[in-house]
Amino acid sequence: SGPCRPTPSPCFRLFLAPFFSQEDAPTMSYGPTLPSVGGISTFNIAHGFVESLVRGMRNSFLKDSDYHHLTQCDTLDDCKMNLGETDLGLALQNMAAISPPLVQRAAIGKLSEEFLYLRSQSVEPLSTFLDFIQHEYMIDNIMLLLKGTLSGRDINDLISLAHPLGLFKESTMRSIPTFESSPKGYADLYQCVLVDTPVGLYFSKFLAESAQALGSAGEVRNVLEEVEIEIIKASLQKFWLEDFYAFCEKLGGDTAEIMCEILRTRADTHAINVTLNSFGTALNEPSIRASDRRRLYPSIGHLYPHGTALLATVGDADQLGAVVSQFSQYAPAWQVHTSGEGKSIDDAFYERDVAALELAFEGQCHFAPFYSYVKLKEQEIRNLVWITECVLQGQKGSVNEFVPIFSQHAPWRVKAQGRR
Amino acid sequence: MSSYMNGGSCVGEFCNAGWSEVLTNMSPYGWGSFGLAFGLSLSVIGAAWGIFLTGSSLVGAAVKAPRIRSKNLISVIFCEATAIYGVIMAIVLNGLMKKPEGGVEDGAFVEGWNWGAMYFAGYGVFSAGLSVGLTNVASGIAVGVAGSSCALADAQDPSLFVKILIVEIFASALGIFGIIVGIIQSNNCQFPYDVA
Repeated sequence: SGPCRPTPSPCFRLFLAPFFSQEDAPTMSYGPTLPSVGGISTFNIAHGFVESLVRGMRNSFLKDSDYHHLTQCDTLDDCKMNLGETDLGLALQNMAAISPPLVQRAAIGKLSEEFLYLRSQSVEPLSTFLDFIQHEYMIDNIMLLLKGTLSGRDINDLISLAHPLGLFKESTMRSIPTFESSPKGYADLYQCVLVDTPVGLYFSKFLAESAQALGSAGEVRNVLEEVEIEIIKASLQKFWLEDFYAFCEKLGGDTAEIMCEILRTRADTHAINVTLNSFGTALNEPSIRASDRRRLYPSIGHLYPHGTALLATVGDADQLGAVVSQFSQYAPAWQVHTSGEGKSIDDAFYERDVAALELAFEGQCHFAPFYSYVKLKEQEIRNLVWITECVLQGQKGSVNEFVPIFSQHAPWRVKAQGRR
Repeated sequence: MSSYMNGGSCVGEFCNAGWSEVLTNMSPYGWGSFGLAFGLSLSVIGAAWGIFLTGSSLVGAAVKAPRIRSKNLISVIFCEATAIYGVIMAIVLNGLMKKPEGGVEDGAFVEGWNWGAMYFAGYGVFSAGLSVGLTNVASGIAVGVAGSSCALADAQDPSLFVKILIVEIFASALGIFGIIVGIIQSNNCQFPYDVA
């Protein structure tokens, strides 16, 4: 009579361990046991086909020559002709004339189709990983619906504007705007509607956090109501980032190494943006900074804990610059922001993100290419919207201010290789 | 039947005097047959492992880049070659295994039976089978991983195919080492089947 579970011998660990799941403590939004991702000799069992699909999709990014032709266009019809030869051509061919919003809708629709195809072909743990990518867009859609009702837009308009990667059931989406915009309203919204959705977990944490804050204040904070929607969004994104980070860490291997670094920089970007956007709003009040704004900073990232403690005390742009410049990886971004060339810190962050995401495609047998593909496609869509807007408005001077993707002539690549 | 050698103190019904008695009482024909089985099955495991590693990537990459389909089947063929080495070795070893018809009477080997040759052949065939089997497992996995990367790289940039193929060729050479050593080793092995 031996133990119930056989103790793993070296033979088991070497050959068979990749096939068996690891017993883990129950975690946030996925089950207690997580199948192993696998190393180079076992990854392809479950994920080989899907990974090679996404790597094939990597070919569809617009190249330097495509961007060159697009920036030379004088009218949107020329743009449509040039786009017709790219991967996006099929999505645009049924349109009589294009416009920046139409291009954006078509490109996002194509990205969603491809992503949902990947999702349908995936198994655990990749399917949970892809679900996490979709949660971000679900949060965006919830906020769109909540904000939309505050400004009195029609529910059908809002649903047509929702991001296709973050769709809920039709009935769920239609019922979101019917709840009132108050703490009790949000609690009701969670109990009735959101508790069954994948992002219900984040909403419940948000409610717990704000109940705690209200309880400690002893009274309703009227001053915060006008920014409450932004607080909700920032909180949900914070919880999503932390959950995703914990999941990637649990996956281990190359996936953890690459994804955790990407998510850490994302958390820092989130913290800096929350701070930057709070200037001039009620969230910047000294009494509220230290408690409410600080609660919005994620607990992952290079800035946590010391940087976020400093950020919680920042009151204006100069103080923010002083704090950000102390961190060597963000000081250049702040310099771009204050350099007066018309670029903001967002542009600097986009460039840095693209450089990091391109690296995610380097190694084989991990999940980072899936996340990287979605984010790089988003950047490409931003580029296309920028270029078509510039062409539409006739501003040829600024048409080249986009971030090239997988380009040998990208500024960071040129600098890194020491070329001119 | 109790047995002990060298005046040992074992008095039970089934006693072994030591490992030498355990090993020498295992039939050389058993060793030989297991060698044959290991040679074949481990080669097939290696080949199958390599084929699914490279095949899954090939199928997915060909969705967006159909031109890579035919060229990259070479990776699958390299993996299949390791299975063929296993089959060749199994047939060669099977030819060496001979039934001891002339040398057995009433369930025992007769006087003058070439015990040395029998034991040598048993161990030799076992080890030849292991040589081929284990090297083919390594070779199959190596070709599989390299073939998977080759398919993905070819889908991005066609000029990479031949360069990565060279990696695969070196990987499949590992299987050839196994079969060469196995054949040389099993050449000396002759199961006696009659008293000369």
